[in-house]
Amino acid sequence: MSAVIEKESELTINTGAKRFGNTTSQVITYALVCAAIFLVPSIIDDAYLLNKFSTYLIMGMLAIALSLSWGYAGILNLGQALSFGLGSYCMAMTLKLRTVPVHTGSEGLPDFMVWNNVETLPLIWQPFHSFTFAVLAGIFIPVLFSMLLGWFMFKGRVTGVYVAIITLAVLVVVNLLIIDQQRITGGFNGITDLATLEVFGFEFDAYGSSAYYLIAIFLTICLFLALAITKSKTGKIFQAIRDHEDRVRYFGYDVANYQVFAIGASAAIAGLAGMLYTIVMEFASPTFLGVKISLSIVIWCAVGGRHSLLGSMLGAIIIVGMQGSLSESETFLETWTLVMGFVFVIVVLFMPKGLAGAVESLILKIKSRNQE
Amino acid sequence: MTSNTEQLELKDVVVSFNGFHALNGLDFSVNEGELRCLIGPNGAGKTTALDIICGKTKATSGVVKFETTDLTNLQEHQIAREGIGRKFQIPSVFQDMTVKENLEVAYCKNNKVLSNLFKFKLGKEEEGLEKLAELVNLQDHLDVIAGHLSHGQTQWLEIALLVAQNPKLILMDEPTAGMTRQETHKTAELFLRLKEKHTLVVVEHDMGFVKEIGDVISVMHQGKMLAEGTASEIEQNKEVQEAYLGSAGITNA
Amino acid sequence: MDPTAIMSQLITGLSIASILLLVALGLAIIYGSTGVINLAHGEFVMLGAYSAWALQTFFSLNLFQSLFFIFVLTALLGWIIERVVIRHLYARPLDTILATWGIGVISIQAIRLSAGGELRYVEMPSQLASSVSFLGVDVSAFRIFILIFSAALFILTWYLMFKTSFGVKLRAITQNPEVASSFGINSDRIFGLTFAYGAGLAGLAGALISPLKSVYPEMGTPYVIDAFFVVVLGGVESLMGTVFSAIILGELTSFISFQSNDTIAKALVLLAIVILIRFRPQGLFSSKVRG
Repeated sequence: MSAVIEKESELTINTGAKRFGNTTSQVITYALVCAAIFLVPSIIDDAYLLNKFSTYLIMGMLAIALSLSWGYAGILNLGQALSFGLGSYCMAMTLKLRTVPVHTGSEGLPDFMVWNNVETLPLIWQPFHSFTFAVLAGIFIPVLFSMLLGWFMFKGRVTGVYVAIITLAVLVVVNLLIIDQQRITGGFNGITDLATLEVFGFEFDAYGSSAYYLIAIFLTICLFLALAITKSKTGKIFQAIRDHEDRVRYFGYDVANYQVFAIGASAAIAGLAGMLYTIVMEFASPTFLGVKISLSIVIWCAVGGRHSLLGSMLGAIIIVGMQGSLSESETFLETWTLVMGFVFVIVVLFMPKGLAGAVESLILKIKSRNQE
Repeated sequence: MTSNTEQLELKDVVVSFNGFHALNGLDFSVNEGELRCLIGPNGAGKTTALDIICGKTKATSGVVKFETTDLTNLQEHQIAREGIGRKFQIPSVFQDMTVKENLEVAYCKNNKVLSNLFKFKLGKEEEGLEKLAELVNLQDHLDVIAGHLSHGQTQWLEIALLVAQNPKLILMDEPTAGMTRQETHKTAELFLRLKEKHTLVVVEHDMGFVKEIGDVISVMHQGKMLAEGTASEIEQNKEVQEAYLGSAGITNA
Repeated sequence: MDPTAIMSQLITGLSIASILLLVALGLAIIYGSTGVINLAHGEFVMLGAYSAWALQTFFSLNLFQSLFFIFVLTALLGWIIERVVIRHLYARPLDTILATWGIGVISIQAIRLSAGGELRYVEMPSQLASSVSFLGVDVSAFRIFILIFSAALFILTWYLMFKTSFGVKLRAITQNPEVASSFGINSDRIFGLTFAYGAGLAGLAGALISPLKSVYPEMGTPYVIDAFFVVVLGGVESLMGTVFSAIILGELTSFISFQSNDTIAKALVLLAIVILIRFRPQGLFSSKVRG
């Protein structure tokens, strides 16, 4: 098969062998997709549907985050949901403390603590009275945690399969601990009955267009920031590390530092996505940092095309969107997951570049035909 | 510009893997500006010797010194920053990136994550990288994805990556493997040009190529240095002939 | 802790260890020889358990009568999966994780849609429903049976790997694929059979634990994690290491959960494994790292 590819490349060396699209056309495409996302509320006026769309966008952010670390830097982080969950808990904690009627006791205690016979607000909850602190924590706790884990792995030259296993194991550990520490975390039920987010007197209702726009704005920012990272020299070094980790060392780069940064940047996006998810779901739950979500993110990126930020994001939005429209029926949803399993295996086997890769080669083919 | 200052020195280096001695008390030194060829029968430990210098393998005992620095306990990237570049036997260019991007990554003047994060344009480097591409005849392929290059071009790109890194000492492991005669000849010319600015240590099987480029040839056998000298001296050396006996013979080795 | 309590914990630990060994053995064989981390291994365990349930419910076979069928059934399934999916991926280790994960999802959903999501129960063979007094501790006869059975399976596997021509060929391929193929060893066939054998072992494991635990579609997930850690701890190249690490993990889990609770025990064991992978990826009982 490789012989065929080589032959083809000789013939088309001036078209097929070049990189697909230049930066300008890429930026325009990305901007067009974002513009389309902003137009959605003017078409849809069903609050329930808009809320659903908001969650799809958040899943898109998660896919961007994994595309950055896995697609670009080669770090298959099976614990991506960890950052997502930590972010969502930070937001839930501060919103819980703002919930008015649930407070009891002298300082005001969240309801589940009262049920668990907790008498004073645990120390770890105290700073979450401040909304600013919570927002910072929702980004920096996942970032620091991931960077620490990355430092622990990458300074020890842990690679490939073992990175996947360690990140998965750590995710499971944190998940177990959160369920176990019911008095602080709400255990299985998570943190529910939250106040609506209000910033500068402006309310972000989970079912209103304001929350949708908030998410769309952050999605756009994250998408373009991630794009900027991949276009910088650091981004190119990421890709070099992905292809030949050892070779990069012999140029004089401390590879571990780059990997730690990649996993940290990816955690920042995932943490932010987690906070937004709490706002639209109006609760936080241990399932947010479950193995299932982590697997789903990997599937979205693989199917959408992990080497493309936009492809991964659209992969997530389309898959979750289709799933959402089927979710009316339990059997449909089960069948859907079955079908997704098959699609995933087929993509892994035959389409390592995902849908984005397929679209790219299709466009290139059309272009070269037009030139003839 | 060969000077008599010793740049690289390996002293009594031993490397053992589970009791097998890949290097068995190797002594090896190279002067600044030299182009040294390293030959020896299969399993003599040539590649291991390069691995020791660039930090891929750690010595069980012995000293590896580069200029005034002791390399024994440094990591690969630290050794690279001291000014040592390495080309591996199997070409390892970045297949999914363009030739230009490959060169850009290899140009490692600034290795910090954060400052590279804000670096989008090549600026002054651009000219240098283009010159480099010219050196290896890839100036018309700057935007080609490296995976699409021919075998010989890939080897040259790899050499260009080394030069982009601008090391004082370049280690090459079988740079002409798989090249046509014409390509090999071109590579020899390239090496003679590189010699003007860099010290080179080349592991090579092709004696024709070795004779074309090497001033001094070092012969390794069973993890030790067996002989050193000019091509004719080596070919007449009894010990060397014996060492190659049983393998295909020195000229075809 | 008084001596009886310690004894009781020791025996519980040994019982956990025997189950771990049973589950891990198949994974160890597959990972050790082909380098594939089979994340669907837990689903083979699950399918084994469901087979036991189905054979009991629809054909009224008891567990002993079904074991042979279950082994053949899961082994066949393993062989098919290897032929259709895994064999394309030997050069791409990371992708094997993804593909086998996908296969796991497919298996879970297939069972959900066919057998339903509710808990199923498999009856313990009546001969072994009693308990036996052992060193002053009451132990279920069925657990002792599992202990003996897994020891026997281990010896059989060891024999297969080291005393038969199949084992010699398999080890030759693992150590040097090119040389092995130049001797005319058909690595395709051998890998297919290895995968089948490993899957069959997982199926047996699932069948044997089904009377002890409830049977549901997602039951395999915890087992694949445990089994993987047994393998990593033991070292991928070492069958004996797998036994030792199963015992260590079993006893650790037993004693930690006695001191605190199951969740903390689980979390601590996972953390220990993470640290182990970081500092000794070759495992405790082996010197070789799997690339």
